[in-house]
Amino acid sequence: MQRLRRRLATGLTLATIAAVASATASAHHSFAMYDQSIKYVFTGVVERVNPDSSHLQIAFVPLNEKRDALVRDSSGKPATWLVEMGGSAASAREGITVNDFPRGTVFSVGLVPLRNGQRGGARVEGLFKCAVGKTPAPGQHCDSVEGATSHGNGGLVKPTATWTPE
Amino acid sequence: MNSAFIRTTSVTVAVLVLGVCVMTSLRAQTQASVQATTTTQKSVGRGWPVPMPLKPFDGYPDEDFVGAVTPWYYTTSTTATGGKAPAGIQPLPRDIFTSKDFYSDRDLWMDRRYYRCNSPIALDSIWGDYSSGPRALDNDDPKTAAWGHCERDYPRAAIVSPYPFKTAREHYEALLAETKTRGGPTEQTKDTLPDWNGRYTRNLNLVFGRGRRGGAGDPLPQVFAEPPQWVVGWANQMPTILSLLTPQYQQRYVQQMYHKVNSNAAQFSLMYCRPEGLLRWWSGPGGPSQLDVMVVPGRVQFLGGTDNALRHVQIGRAFDLKGKVPHLGAEVPSWLGETIGFWDGDTLVTWTSNVQGWFTHSSWEYSNQMQLIEIWTPRRFADGKFAGLEHETIFYDPEAFVQPVRDVRFFSRRGDLKDAPPFHLVHCNQTIFVGEDGRGTQVPPGTTIRYTVRDLYDRPWARIWEQYFEKGMKRPAETDELGGFK
Repeated sequence: MQRLRRRLATGLTLATIAAVASATASAHHSFAMYDQSIKYVFTGVVERVNPDSSHLQIAFVPLNEKRDALVRDSSGKPATWLVEMGGSAASAREGITVNDFPRGTVFSVGLVPLRNGQRGGARVEGLFKCAVGKTPAPGQHCDSVEGATSHGNGGLVKPTATWTPE
Repeated sequence: MNSAFIRTTSVTVAVLVLGVCVMTSLRAQTQASVQATTTTQKSVGRGWPVPMPLKPFDGYPDEDFVGAVTPWYYTTSTTATGGKAPAGIQPLPRDIFTSKDFYSDRDLWMDRRYYRCNSPIALDSIWGDYSSGPRALDNDDPKTAAWGHCERDYPRAAIVSPYPFKTAREHYEALLAETKTRGGPTEQTKDTLPDWNGRYTRNLNLVFGRGRRGGAGDPLPQVFAEPPQWVVGWANQMPTILSLLTPQYQQRYVQQMYHKVNSNAAQFSLMYCRPEGLLRWWSGPGGPSQLDVMVVPGRVQFLGGTDNALRHVQIGRAFDLKGKVPHLGAEVPSWLGETIGFWDGDTLVTWTSNVQGWFTHSSWEYSNQMQLIEIWTPRRFADGKFAGLEHETIFYDPEAFVQPVRDVRFFSRRGDLKDAPPFHLVHCNQTIFVGEDGRGTQVPPGTTIRYTVRDLYDRPWARIWEQYFEKGMKRPAETDELGGFK
């Protein structure tokens, strides 16, 4: 029984790594910095897309649960997150580019967060962009919005936790 | 072969000599030695002359240096020092060297006295921090900065593109259509390709440091002739360059110069191991001082310039025109862009797009919209021997420029690739970091420092200046709409 549990745990770990790797093909760094036991799903607003060769990154500010305002930290500043994914060329093949995700774009993404608690993470599974001018209903994500576009394989990852600002 | 710009200028000169009195402040160019061009009639979009007479070319244009100092040539040509104004010039109550807030001085930006009649490259090097250039202020006090020549300036009309095209695409398609009327584009094979393989250099590098030697030296051959290299920054007053830019990019350019001369807070990209960007290929500091050209069917390779600059011209390919800018591969902006091209006989015509907007010190900032048309035309000595390549570039950037601009320069062939020193692939190892005062400082290994991570794509140079040197300034508020969310 213990061996079965160990095999299950190993299998789950490998599956998680595979999921991360699928979003970050040709990764050029270790993923030890991420706590892969935690998965957040955010719906947020693009601040900027950084088209770096090894990992495209999207800086974004999460929307609140009502989806009508930016989440802010204790000092009142927008609580910017940074999510990285595959290289810019690979991401472009998924339709994620500087031009397709301009500042102000609303999108939803799942990620595994940094272990150190800073607001960064690596994307897992699919990403959805809301149609221009549309936001999800309270508590919902862009995959529920009419006219949304899917980027990358699969749906949004199932979250294991909810992030709350410090 | 020489391009039409020189030949036609010579014709213009002949007309002038016959008595047509125009542009009295400029002397006529005499280019008797130049040879006929292969372009037998005026092209739709290449080789047009600079629309005014130019001074005789000798490669060392010391009478054209605008600023108090000019690096590379290592020339000092001040008109007044110690903070005093030259005779006959009424200084402004405040200028870029004395102002506490350049944003509040917008009404003065287009007055050359605001810069003490210094050129962009003089401003960039006036603290003496170019190893190839002298210094022109005293006691580390910007108020003492020297004046340049208020009466000198390369005309704006010689800088703007003479061609009627609004976009690079229009320009490229017109040149392509033109070559088709002649049966082109030329399908080059290994046997028919022009033998351009070799190492080249700019004229500037052939007279490097001549000012340090008192200006002595032989003139460069007339076949090397080129108009003043305004892109390099020594030929113009600042307002002339500013007049080419949109208001937002004017502000960025003045910001750069203010923090160079007033804050003494230079930011050269590589000092922080940032990329150099495409414009560096034309700038004074960037070169390329050594350019290796390799030509094969299907591709022309240019290797040279700081930061391992490597540019490939993809012959006979077409851009994907869907998307915000034309692109060849993924729609991902790249530091040197993507380039396609075609042969028209032994002339190479190229189009570059999908560029990452950036800046190089001493030059203006440019946007992701920048696209280039370049024409490479061979020139030969009188005996028919290959001399080098004329390089004509038309810069299109509707976000940064109010209209397209053009540069023409010459690369002389210095030797065969087999004789050139090997190329060294370098990797930037950052040893200079932003210090506590906002200026770059060398940090020895083992030192622990406080370090702020900057967003590479958010004008990190500007954010540093704003944080450390713009407290209390009236910087216009930037639009910070984030999807309309509060």
